[in-house]
Amino acid sequence: MKTKILHSAWGLKISCLVFIMIFNANIVCGQDDEIKEEAKIALSFNEDDRSKIIVATATNISNEPIEDLELYFYIKRSFSNLPIGDFFNSTDETGVVEVEFPADLPGDSEGNVTILVKLMDSDLYNDQTIETVKKWGVPSPSPDHIDEKRSLWAAAANAPIPLIIIISALIFSIWFIIFYIIYILFKINKIGIIDSKP
Amino acid sequence: MNTHVKHQQEFKDRREKDLLRHILKTSWRYKLWIAFLVLVIAIGMYGYYRQLKYGLIVTAMRDYTSWGIYISNFVFFVAISLVGSLFSSILKLNKNEWSKPLTRISEIIAVSAIICAIVIIIVDMGRPDRFFYVIKYLRIQSPIIWDVIIISTYLVISLILLYSSLLPDLALCRDRLTVIPKWKKKLYRILAINWRNHPNQLAMLQKVTKILAISVLPVAFAIHTVTSWLFATTWRPGWDSTNLGPYFVSGAFMAGAAAIIIAMYFIRKSLHLKAYITEAHFDKMGKLLVLLSLVYLYFNINEYLGPAFKMVGVEGEHIIELFVGKYAPMYWFVQLGGLVLPIVFLLFKGMRRSFPIFIISTFIILGAWFKRFLIVIPSLQHPYLPIQGVDESYLHYDPTWEEWAITLASFAWFLLIITVLIKLFPVIPIKKHEHVSKRHPILNF
Repeated sequence: MKTKILHSAWGLKISCLVFIMIFNANIVCGQDDEIKEEAKIALSFNEDDRSKIIVATATNISNEPIEDLELYFYIKRSFSNLPIGDFFNSTDETGVVEVEFPADLPGDSEGNVTILVKLMDSDLYNDQTIETVKKWGVPSPSPDHIDEKRSLWAAAANAPIPLIIIISALIFSIWFIIFYIIYILFKINKIGIIDSKP
Repeated sequence: MNTHVKHQQEFKDRREKDLLRHILKTSWRYKLWIAFLVLVIAIGMYGYYRQLKYGLIVTAMRDYTSWGIYISNFVFFVAISLVGSLFSSILKLNKNEWSKPLTRISEIIAVSAIICAIVIIIVDMGRPDRFFYVIKYLRIQSPIIWDVIIISTYLVISLILLYSSLLPDLALCRDRLTVIPKWKKKLYRILAINWRNHPNQLAMLQKVTKILAISVLPVAFAIHTVTSWLFATTWRPGWDSTNLGPYFVSGAFMAGAAAIIIAMYFIRKSLHLKAYITEAHFDKMGKLLVLLSLVYLYFNINEYLGPAFKMVGVEGEHIIELFVGKYAPMYWFVQLGGLVLPIVFLLFKGMRRSFPIFIISTFIILGAWFKRFLIVIPSLQHPYLPIQGVDESYLHYDPTWEEWAITLASFAWFLLIITVLIKLFPVIPIKKHEHVSKRHPILNF
């Protein structure tokens, strides 16, 4: 009897919850959409002899600084984005956050790197990504211009000459024999043709 | 139908009749065997279709065990393919008369095995459509490129070896077999390339045989040595050994000889060739197998004694896993059942009779396959860098049904190629030309 009452109470509770959820569906499902707003993030770059600093300033639609907004800083690499800065980078009371750019990061042949600043998973603001190209990286010569020494680990064009000579000689000698045998087989065929003629 | 064919077909002598009759009649057993092989291949093809569709994730291969049973199987097939050179070169140059009837069987097995080795490598590639990138972006420093070059070379040499020994018999099939379908007549006519038994033709063919007998040997040694270098040049416990080349080559000759004995047993039974493949042949093969197994045993001791004596770091862990750990049952089955016991048994004459030696050879072949498994997989599970924070599936390797189905299908392909070649061509040389070379009578075919 006791369990029956307990079951009915649970059933009633769940029904009420469902009822409330149905009639407030826009609040339950669309809560985030209604409240979130756009944040404006402006990037500036400070550079002196010793350091390179990325400065991000976050303001809301009324141009007031946003405090305690977490931003994520990345450098675009070949396969994924490299995070830079601290683990958490939050804006101060003036809406500013500063992150130091590592001095030894390789860029393209001219030293260009792509800096990404992301606003993600905020309760109040929509996600956004700002992408800027800066000439702050260490220029990396393109593979064509690397002055690579001939070695086992070099690119195909820089294989060690003795290795190329040995392998080519081996391949050439064995395939010479193979083609010579094929040539003899052609001659055998020719003899047969002449022999079969009356 | 068969009696009808027999009545129509006339043979010059008994040898011709015995060695050509299987080309004329097709038994229900043959059809059933072919159907079975095709069924196994079809299941394997379905497994491969799934692998192509979903990627290599359908296999149990992960970051550490990135070479699974496909590569073990590849090494096994390369090993088996060496048997062609054993008969066509080593035994021929050593003037062994007894091995002559077995030469063609060995060449057929070699061709079939090397084709399967090539196919299985492509199966192992996650993106087979990128195979030609291997050629396009060729790096001569890569042992994989050496393997690609040497395998394709060995395939061509094996095909020429088989073809040149078949040539006089192809002409005989063309001239003698009258009651065969048109396509077969055409096939023999094209393949016989106007062979008329002309003395000049005989002299030229003899020259070809001689060149091949000499040149196939270094290529055969190279093919398996280069395969062993794929492992020896990779930094893993168990592979970091200078012994690996001869260890692989000697193991290959042993496995190849066992494969020949199994083939001899079935061919002798199914084609009724007791007069041509005799008990004496099994006896000789038994003795040869003991010799080859002893050489392999010697390299096995070399391979394990050093690391087992020192037990250094990951090398030691690898040895423990093989000797007393997870892979111990397989390891001791391979070493005792597939190597030591066969040597002991084959020392007795009674064990070198056709049936016992067939059973022993089956154990050797099973041992040879699992030996390749033991060479490839346990080593990969012990990288020198510590394994940290990886998915649980990376730590062990249990092949999936797709991998087994594809592997079994490769065996079915192997047997299918052998079966079809045996069905189409005389398996024992019919033509004898002992008179051609007085100076080197053994180089006659």
